[in-house]
Amino acid sequence: MTTRSPALDEPTFGTPAWGGFDPARTRGRGVADLMRAFSTATRLGWQMEANWTDPVLFFIYSVAKPISSALIFVVMIDVIGGGSTRELRSFVVVGTALWSFVLSGIAGLAWSVLDDRERYRMLKYVYVSPSSFLVVLLGRGVARVAVGAMGALITLAVGVVALGVPIDVGHIDWPMLVAVMVAGLVTIVAVGMLLAAICLQTRQESWSYPEAAAGALFLVSGAVFPLAVLPAAVQVIGYLSPLSWWIEGVRRAIMPEVGVGAIGGPGSLFTELTGRATPSSPEILLALLATGALVTLGAIVGFRLSDHRARDRGLLDQTTGS
Amino acid sequence: MAAWTRRVAVGPADSPAASATWSRRQVLATDLRTIVGRAYPRVRGMVRERSWLFFEILLPFLATSTFVFVYRALRAPPEYVGFVVLGGAMTAFWLNVIWMMASQLWWEKSQGNLELYFAAPMNIMSVLIGMAIGGLILSSSRAFVVLVIATEIYGVSFAVDQWLLLALVFGLTLAALYGLGMALASLFLMWGREAFHLTQLLQEPIYFVSGLNFPVGRLGFIGALAIALLPLAVGLDAMRQLAFAGSDYPKGTPPPVIEALILVAMTVISLLLARWMLRTLERLARREGRLSVRWQ
Repeated sequence: MTTRSPALDEPTFGTPAWGGFDPARTRGRGVADLMRAFSTATRLGWQMEANWTDPVLFFIYSVAKPISSALIFVVMIDVIGGGSTRELRSFVVVGTALWSFVLSGIAGLAWSVLDDRERYRMLKYVYVSPSSFLVVLLGRGVARVAVGAMGALITLAVGVVALGVPIDVGHIDWPMLVAVMVAGLVTIVAVGMLLAAICLQTRQESWSYPEAAAGALFLVSGAVFPLAVLPAAVQVIGYLSPLSWWIEGVRRAIMPEVGVGAIGGPGSLFTELTGRATPSSPEILLALLATGALVTLGAIVGFRLSDHRARDRGLLDQTTGS
Repeated sequence: MAAWTRRVAVGPADSPAASATWSRRQVLATDLRTIVGRAYPRVRGMVRERSWLFFEILLPFLATSTFVFVYRALRAPPEYVGFVVLGGAMTAFWLNVIWMMASQLWWEKSQGNLELYFAAPMNIMSVLIGMAIGGLILSSSRAFVVLVIATEIYGVSFAVDQWLLLALVFGLTLAALYGLGMALASLFLMWGREAFHLTQLLQEPIYFVSGLNFPVGRLGFIGALAIALLPLAVGLDAMRQLAFAGSDYPKGTPPPVIEALILVAMTVISLLLARWMLRTLERLARREGRLSVRWQ
């Protein structure tokens, strides 16, 4: 029988087991910590979005906005064009359904800042926690994108069932759809990040800013009318917006037979410059990746600058009201 | 105002009983001060932070432009562009009503101000009226700028035969809208956290049934129901009929005079409802101790 020395069992002076400081804790666990912060923020965001009511009312709430938006345009088209505008109607329904992603993606991040700063007054605590502030915001934003996705899918379903939108699952270009959706969603979250950066600097009434920004982007993104209708200078802005290429790419992937597109066509700047009627699918994907990368980089820089200014001026715990 | 209030205020030397008994003049002075005090931050805020010029004028103008270009893409008659511009201007008031009137008492509760409102010796209706006046001034500036810029850029030509009636309908629409906002304020306070989500629900669906971008008569029964219930729908329809008098406006909705009377009824009902709801809510909140419960 051997007896172990008590000195070997007892923690050494200064070690974490003894109660001393563990330098590894300040380094964190890298990606594992980021993933944990992201998943916790996503779960928190989803609960904040969804647990305020029963599932039926939540479902109605999630789909009422995108369906109403689509119906506004459908009625506008029917008032003027009557029944002879089926293709345009499909164009508009898909555009407004996809816009639900944009609205929720942009608003999700910006409202997270406002929620935590103005309403719950937790922003400063979230900020000083070991989690990355940006990762927490992204997690909160993803939950809202999920709500937007639900609205978009239901709007498309209503479009197919009730409004004659010709989406045939057998004819969908799946690789193209997956590629543009991934690139598009990353871009949308980046735009949301930019709005969050702006809301870090502004006051309580910024609740309406994400919607206002999305409304302005709606004009140049070809969501509900071909960009050729706009003046040439504004068409250029539309071509520089990744959202235009994203919506066009999704339309092309899910409705290859529909002839109306947002980019190109008679009188468009695209046709004038390239001599071709419409861009090809790879061109659309390439343009989306290029413009999306630019916007994402710009958003990261913008967020960092805003973050720095907010710390410098003490805006993280400043609440406003009117 | 402040000097006048000081003159009518009861001095510290009076007995507690005398201090608690206010003359009608004192009550009125306090309520007026409340109105001015609550409207002040909204009006003053316009010059304190000018980012609203970009976010609340330029961006909404661009959003309105989207609808203009949809009609242009469809080669719609020019008056339809005018309908959209008018609808876009009225959006400013509706957004203000739902975000800064209906949700406001709930915000105040979340910020810890609500119990102070109820504890202060003033009529809480004065707070709501002050919020409405401040919000109205704030929104009028935005609506006016959107209307002027869009009219200039898109070449909208109004044809007004009855200016007085148009002005009356506009005033009544605002009164009915803000009356509705005052009534909703109590309701939203009771709903708590759901109110924020319901505020969002009151945007696009309301724009659709109110015919914000097309004549509401085109919606048939839904349009008729909107005219009977929503100040935005009935006011906008009457203003379109009056502002584009010579146009081929779709039939099916009541004439402007009848719609003006509907707006009068809506205003009276919503103000009475707001008063009753506020009292009921205050009683409930005091009994159940919910005045200071935040974030629920």
